[in-house]
Parts: sequence; C-alpha cells; structure tokens
Amino acid sequence: MKRALCILAGILVSTFAVAQEPTLIRLGRGFAAEEQLWLMSARPDLTPNQGKKYQLKQILFQANPERFQAYLAGELDAGTAPGLAVIFARAQGVDMKIVASISQEAAGKQYFTTAYMVKDDGPIKTAQDLKGGTVGVVGYKTATDLWARAGLLNAGLVPDRDTKVFSLGFPAMGESVRTRKIQAGTFVEPFYSAEMAKGGLRKLFTATEAVGYDHELLDIWFSEKFLKAHPDVVRAFLADYVAATKYYLANMEQAKRDLSKAGFVRTPVDIYVKNLDWKRDPDARVNVDSLKKLSTFMLDKLQWLEKPVNVDEMVDQSFLPR
Amino acid sequence: MKALRPYILVLVLLAAWEIAAHSSLWSPLLFPSLERIGREFWLFVSRPEGWWQTWTSLYRAFGGFVLAAVAGVLLGMLMGRSAFVASLLDPLFSGTYAVPKLALFPIFIFVFGLGSLSKIVLIFLECLYPMTIITYHGARAVQPVLLWSAQNMGASRARTLLRVVFPATLPYVFAALRVALPVALIVAIITEMISSVDGLGYLVTYSLSSLKTDRMLALVVVISLLGLALDHALVALRNRLVYWEKLDTYCA
Repeated sequence: MKRALCILAGILVSTFAVAQEPTLIRLGRGFAAEEQLWLMSARPDLTPNQGKKYQLKQILFQANPERFQAYLAGELDAGTAPGLAVIFARAQGVDMKIVASISQEAAGKQYFTTAYMVKDDGPIKTAQDLKGGTVGVVGYKTATDLWARAGLLNAGLVPDRDTKVFSLGFPAMGESVRTRKIQAGTFVEPFYSAEMAKGGLRKLFTATEAVGYDHELLDIWFSEKFLKAHPDVVRAFLADYVAATKYYLANMEQAKRDLSKAGFVRTPVDIYVKNLDWKRDPDARVNVDSLKKLSTFMLDKLQWLEKPVNVDEMVDQSFLPR
Repeated sequence: MKALRPYILVLVLLAAWEIAAHSSLWSPLLFPSLERIGREFWLFVSRPEGWWQTWTSLYRAFGGFVLAAVAGVLLGMLMGRSAFVASLLDPLFSGTYAVPKLALFPIFIFVFGLGSLSKIVLIFLECLYPMTIITYHGARAVQPVLLWSAQNMGASRARTLLRVVFPATLPYVFAALRVALPVALIVAIITEMISSVDGLGYLVTYSLSSLKTDRMLALVVVISLLGLALDHALVALRNRLVYWEKLDTYCA
C-alpha cells in the first residue's frame, strides 16, 4: 500500500513538473541572413522569456522544401523562409502564417542586396547580352531564381528560351563565372565579399534592381495550429526576437563575434564582421505590400502559381510587440 | 494465381499507401492519393515534353553505360586473363571502388561543363567498376579444359580470348550489365537533380521546389517503370545471346 502511494506521488510530481515546463518551439532555420534569430540561441541572456515562457530548439535545414516537408511531417512548429517560399506553400494549402520579418532586399549603400555578377573583362556589359548564355541560381523556384528571371525579363529576354537558368551552389558561382561555364552568377554574403576580394568580377544587377522595389527576403512563420493553441508563447517569443533584433542592429560587430564563437557562422570572423548586412526592420514588421507584388509577379509573369494567393491572410503581425 | 504472385507485394504496398493517404494522419501534400499521382502520371506521359525529358535522361544514362560496358568488358577480360594487367589494375580498382564518385561531380562540372558531358563521364565512372570487376571474375572462371582445347587446336591468344574466353564470360558480362544499368539510371537522375536544366532528375527537383509531391511521385513511377523495362530488355537480350543458360525474371 505504502509502495503504491509512493509511486502515485511520484507520478503526480513528475506530471506537475512536465506541466510547468515552458512550451517548446521547434523552429527550422536556414544558413544565411537570419543573424538576430540565431542570436536568441547564441545569447539567451538577451531573451528574458526564453526558458520561462517558451523553450527554443533551432534545427538547421539546407533548403526550403526539406524544411516544409519536416513541418508537414509534424516535426516543426515554426521556421524561417523566404516570403516567396511561404507564398508557394500557401498556394498548396499549407497552414502557416508569416508573423515577423527577418531581413529584406533593399536599395541603399548601407545595405547588402544579392548581386548578379559577370566576368569583368567578358562580353556581358548589360543584361541583354545574356541572350544565349546561362545564369547561375542557387535553386529552382527560389528567391535567387525569381530575381534572375526578373532581371532577364527587364532586359526583354525570355528565361529558359533566350537564357538558361541553371542551379548551382553558392561556393561554385565565382569559379563558374570566371571559367565561363555560366555567364552570370548569384552572389550573397560571405561569397560576395570573398569573390570581390579575388577580383575579376563585376556587378550586372542586384535583386532589388531586378524586381524594382525593396522587398522581404526572409520571414518567420508559424503553424496556424500553434498560433491558435499558444498565442502567449508566440507573443513572448516575438518580444524576445524583437529585443534580439534591436540588440543585433545596435551591436552588430559584437553580435557577429558571438555568433561566430557559437558556431552559427563558418566565415572567418574578421571577414564576417566587415561584411555589409541586409536591411532588418528593428520592430520586425513585414513589408506586406512587397509580398503582394512578389505574389502577383509569380502569378502573372512567371506562371509559378496556378491561382492567386491572399497575402493579407498569409501574414499575421498581431503577435508582434505593439 | 501463380501468374499474379509477383504482383502481390506491389498491390499490398499500393493498398497500404492508399490507406495512409486517406487516414488523415499525414498531410495529403506528403502522402498524396494514388488517384492524384495517377493524374500527374497521365499528364506527364500524354505530353510530348514528358517524352523529351525522359529521352534526355536515357540518353545520358545510355551514353555513360555503353562506354563503361565497352571499357569494362575489355579491362575485365584483360585482367582476368593476364596476371600482369591484373596486378597493374587490381589495386586501383580495389582501392577506389568504395569512393563515392558523386563527390567528384563538382570537379567534373568544371572540367566537362554544365551540360550532358559531365553527367555522362560520372555515369561512365560509376558503371565501370561493376562492369570491370564482374567481367574480371568471369574471365578467371573460364574452364581450363576449354582453353586447353583451343590451344591444342592452334588458336592464338587473341583468337582464344575472342572465341573462347569472351563467350564463356558472357553470363558474367550480362550480370555486370544488369548491375550497371540501374546504376546508370540512378546516377543520371541524381546528377540532374544536382545540376541540370532538363531531364527527369531536374523535373523531380522542380516538383519538390513547388511542393508538388504528387508530381514528384509520378516521376518516381516513370523512373521505376523505365528501370523495369530496361532490365526486361536486357534479360531478353541475354536469353537470346546466352541461349545455353536461360535466366528467369518472375514478372517477364
């Protein structure tokens, strides 16, 4: 009898302990332009709610399709993704909502924007000269693919017919352009700075120039189910995220050193801290209009979508701190 | 009933898939129904574009496979009948057999370009190993009595190789071809998935990027049927050429 009571008490204590555990957020992350989010794990001291109102587990994914598949398999509650990837997912009926902005492609000397570069002494002087050539992008139906196609369309070229769009890893872009395997390649940091230091390459157009306006690069999304079940957890998480963003923007060099030390970035730290950074909204507000324009472009010009996507329904910024 | 036996497991797997697809346990985006996959399959085979993309992959697979078959049979026969050639090549083949040649693909892209050539070279390399090694063992296993008879009849070394060793090794050569052919198809698809603007592998990646799992699985069905058809064709050819040693395939 005594033994049975002890076991019962043990079960009750452990159940109580589990009930007190903060809700776990399983978040699928990427490998570039998400610094302030990584900082939440590298510097938990910046996030007062972490460990109290929620627990954060960041899981690295190399590409968006794998991240979404993990989400569909029930392995993730949230994640990061380019706005256009979320538009794709919504078009297929995936229940996810963008809740905050991470980074944007924006014009301005103070910001980095993805660059399409060509051989400095090569025959490509304008985008029109890419006719009959090949542009390297990092994956099909990715943001890099969209910008390349936008740049070609601006030059009056029909992608795939006049100019091939070829998938290639970022590390191979520089050498592929230099050896004329491709005529233009996509360059993001830290590859951009490394290739510029080597010399021999020249900017042809940027992502912002290609689409013609500042727009969302990466966003944070949550499952609608999670948002409904744990609204306070999401609010606490986003309050910490905004705090981490503000810290990152105010102390970028230190933050980058911390991220490097924590193993989030492999680029040599001295190069990494000097790189220009993407634009990041200090309040993590999403540029919804830019997502609408991207969605229209994907539907009308690229025929990437079979039907329009309601972007207003796709974004919910009510969880962000007021 | 016996005729149906080879298909029982396939039907069970298809039924299990359909149950999973309708169970609501998983998203239909991950587990699309057979009807949706079938619709995408029909869309693919009813358009000329689908056949063109299939031909592109087959052309690459066959390119590397045929080159590897010719080179592999030649090398294997020489290694099997010459201790000198075997001692020269065996360490190279044994030492590098386990190396995943796919890791060399980025280098091949730089050397042979982004188009078909880099893919064909990798397919050749992947197929060369099974072709050479299995043929080598076949050439070594030729019954000595056949060789003695040829020598007694005054056949030269080259003639013995061509008229005695080669036919006696043929069952092994076909075994090697049956190992190498699916390898060729797999490598063609994988290289197209990594870096290509056409072919079935490219379409698989493109479908995945669009979260079109049903389309991707329809392509998997196309690839499976191609593999099955090619294997049947090879077995039919083998049974015609190696008529003294018939081979059974259960669903032939």
